[in-house]
Amino acid sequence: MTADALHPVTGLDDVVHQRVRLGILTIAHEACRVEFGYLRTQLQLTAGNLSQHLGVLETAGLVALEKGYEGKRGRTWITLTPAGTHALAAEISRLKQLIARVTLDDQP
Amino acid sequence: MTADSVHAGGDPRRLLSQVHALSRRVRADRRVTWVALLVLAVATFVAIPVDWFGMQVDCAAGGACRFNRLGSLYFWPPALLLSYTVIAVAYRRVARSRGVDARVLPYAITGAALTGVFTAAWVGARIYVANHPPAPDAPPTADWILLLDRLVAPAGTIGVALLVLARLERNLALLAFTLAYLAIVLIPITFGWQMHTSVQAEFLPSQVISGVVLALGAAGFALARRRQR
Repeated sequence: MTADALHPVTGLDDVVHQRVRLGILTIAHEACRVEFGYLRTQLQLTAGNLSQHLGVLETAGLVALEKGYEGKRGRTWITLTPAGTHALAAEISRLKQLIARVTLDDQP
Repeated sequence: MTADSVHAGGDPRRLLSQVHALSRRVRADRRVTWVALLVLAVATFVAIPVDWFGMQVDCAAGGACRFNRLGSLYFWPPALLLSYTVIAVAYRRVARSRGVDARVLPYAITGAALTGVFTAAWVGARIYVANHPPAPDAPPTADWILLLDRLVAPAGTIGVALLVLARLERNLALLAFTLAYLAIVLIPITFGWQMHTSVQAEFLPSQVISGVVLALGAAGFALARRRQR
């Protein structure tokens, strides 16, 4: 059995295939650099919950966190690493394959 | 509030639609289209008196006039460079205040490069005309040359740079606006408004119309943005 013959679900990355983390990667990819507060608002998460997910992604090397100040206010900026960009592209590709597979399976 | 507030489940269709929805939202939050159009509209309006008073006109007894738009030449290159700098800075500031980063540098670089093309074309045409003065009975200039002339003129280069911005922002509304703007500038469309009182006045309708179109575009995009919020 070749890799192409494997079901797309076998290639899913548990770190990325989670709706919140996929959302973080998507936003970070589209925004180039995204602020913690923006992510929190868009994904409707608590600060603690978002921090946990960011920790997972940072440990996996998919995002880089940069802490700084704007005036007196502390701000955290999140950037996608090249590995993160690759992981996001792979996840989206697998999701599309899965949808195509499911659509084919649904046909009589 | 927990992670569960983002409902997509493990369903690939829902996950993918979440990805697309988030991408669209971020793209919308990064756009400050009205700022770009407003800055360019202001530059266009300021250029009108500069062109009018900076134009050298030499009319012969027979009524034929030669003109030299020196005001435009000296005004537009620095004005365009300043405009693209202001736009890039404004984009960056506004986008950052919203919590995202702007992707506007390629637009500013394209605009600056086109400004160089405009200046080079203007200087090149001036040198050519100085060495090959048109004969009094010369046929009228070909349409494609006039079209090319308008394309490399400031109003045309503004439109071409806006096409780049529309591509960067994946902004269909800006693309449609820019195509309409380019049609107005390149054909050119003056909605029947013509002035033949002086050489300076000949250029006025198209200048005013391109400025008004940019200003209306800025107002339209600003209103659309306010409605989105």
